[in-house]
Amino acid sequence: MEQEKRRPWRRWVVLVLMIAGFILGGIFVPVQPEITVAAEKLIEEPIAENFLGMGPLYLVNTMPTLAVTIVLLGIIAFFTNRSLKKSQNTDLVPRGIGNVMEAILEMLYNLTEGSAGTKWARAIFPWFATIMIYVLFANLLKLIPGFESIGVLHPAHGEGHAIAPLFGNWSSLLPAKVEEGGYILAPFFRGISVDLNFTASLAIIAVVAIQFIGFRAQGLGYLSKFFNTRRMFKVPFFGAMDFLVGLLELISEISKILSFAFRLFGNMFAGIVLVAIVAGLLGKISILPAMIMMFELFVGIIQAFVFGMLTMVFMAQATQGHGGEEHAEAHSEAAHEI
Amino acid sequence: MEALGISPGFLIVQIIAFIIVLLTLNAWVYKPMLDMMESRKQKIAQGLEDARIASEARANAEKEAAKVLAEAQAEASKVVREATERAATAGKDVKAAAEAEAAKAREAAMAEAELERNRILGDLRGQVAALSIAAANKLVGEALDEKKQHVLIDEFFSGVKAGKVVVLEGADFKGESAEVTSALPLSSKEQEAAKKDILSKVGAQAVTFRVDPSILGGVVIKVGDKVLDGSVAGKLDGLRQTLK
Amino acid sequence: MEGNILDAMRYVGAGLAMIGAAGAGIGIGLSVQGALGGMARNPDTYGNLLTNMILGIAFSEAIAIYCLVIAFLMLFKVV
Repeated sequence: MEQEKRRPWRRWVVLVLMIAGFILGGIFVPVQPEITVAAEKLIEEPIAENFLGMGPLYLVNTMPTLAVTIVLLGIIAFFTNRSLKKSQNTDLVPRGIGNVMEAILEMLYNLTEGSAGTKWARAIFPWFATIMIYVLFANLLKLIPGFESIGVLHPAHGEGHAIAPLFGNWSSLLPAKVEEGGYILAPFFRGISVDLNFTASLAIIAVVAIQFIGFRAQGLGYLSKFFNTRRMFKVPFFGAMDFLVGLLELISEISKILSFAFRLFGNMFAGIVLVAIVAGLLGKISILPAMIMMFELFVGIIQAFVFGMLTMVFMAQATQGHGGEEHAEAHSEAAHEI
Repeated sequence: MEALGISPGFLIVQIIAFIIVLLTLNAWVYKPMLDMMESRKQKIAQGLEDARIASEARANAEKEAAKVLAEAQAEASKVVREATERAATAGKDVKAAAEAEAAKAREAAMAEAELERNRILGDLRGQVAALSIAAANKLVGEALDEKKQHVLIDEFFSGVKAGKVVVLEGADFKGESAEVTSALPLSSKEQEAAKKDILSKVGAQAVTFRVDPSILGGVVIKVGDKVLDGSVAGKLDGLRQTLK
Repeated sequence: MEGNILDAMRYVGAGLAMIGAAGAGIGIGLSVQGALGGMARNPDTYGNLLTNMILGIAFSEAIAIYCLVIAFLMLFKVV
């Protein structure tokens, strides 16, 4: 709750908000939400009975958030583009949002150039920057109030909460649990990074893009990373060992998908679980959930950075060959990875 | 997989969403941004190159200017030195000429002044000679007359009486004897008068009279070691002294 | 309170599986310690060390993530 010295009224605003939170927490007692790993369905019926021949597709609550995220990024991209176009004709120094984006992207580009070298920076950079910006937006959007707390009520199949009518068609959940005829909440918006589909799809894209870059840089020679027959018949024992290590590399590529997906999902899911539990247990002391929210902000930024950075570093490694002296290094690296 | 919420349909939706985002950002942000950064880098490099060339050119120009300036300065100092030398020699010449001129003028002036003086002196000498000759003629002409002699003596004594002739006043002549010399022998009347005058005025005890024609005329009175010369010879002598 | 012993064992198993995250925590701490020490001694290597530190953290965190996956598998009866 550090405030700037020049605006002392801000601390009074915070105090008022704390008192308001305390009073409102007394009236509308916080309900510990139903925590599910999967995204909740907003409508029970699937919107597509057989989506591309892969079973039914339901309207889950990460879909609206996905739409919001894409629209937001599109708007930002559009205005950045306009700002850049405007600056193109003048002095090559963009104003406003273009300047902000330029500052961020230039930093990321320098990072890419430092890791991958000038030759491949231009190819790697769009993947790196897109993943980072996309994940950052996904992580930060879920901190907006209203996410995870406003939604449709579904009749619970098992144990549910009692409801109290609020106004019109709206009702609020009560903390009390009932065995029969209770309801559970399916929020309209759920952060997309708390959806394994999102993280897994990003992980698949990242790993596929890494292989892509590898083939682009080394051609078919990239395959020798996985099927290492280079020394197989020259050195009796260690040659065979290299081949096995190459096979382990193949497994490690697959495990990259898993670790990418679950790292982001685990962190973000832990975030909403923490917020939900703290709010449910200590909702009246509204400072504590606020602190957790600040921590979530930090974690969100860090995870976005880590996701993008790892993608970039793996891509940079894929562009560099694994021959000669580097072999021993790759050897030990692979051993560490497993 | 159902419990984790993973389903191929959602995966495909998410992958499509990511590709949309990637293409949008790539087309609208990254490409123009990287192009702009590239062109800006080139522009900066171009600017630096231009600046380098300009600075080189400026350095050359400065060197050139310094050279020209040094040459001009050397030239100027040479000219100044020459001018100074020329001026110095000219000044020396002028000075020498002026000095010679002045010396000539002075010499001429001095010669003229000498001439003038000589002429004046000559004129003066002529005059003096004429005067003295005139005076001498007059004196000599008149001296032969006895009457005149007595007139002269009378003049003398009357002059003494009237205080015209400086009389030996204030001096103490007591006990001294006075001696009166004249060209002619004095008459008794004259002797009496002279004795009376001298005794009363000077206070001498005794008066002796002597005749000496070399004094030409007039009277010389000698008291002690003081002499009152009223003789013509004495006057002539004084004139001669003055004229000398 | 009534329940299924299998459900109870699932929760217990998930909790036990997450013990493995302790090792990952230690590993991450050690790698950050080494990287920060290196950065403090030689600040010029900051960028290089940061990249490699994040790589190392990712590899050690992978262990914790495997634990998390196992815990999820147990908890949600995936297998």
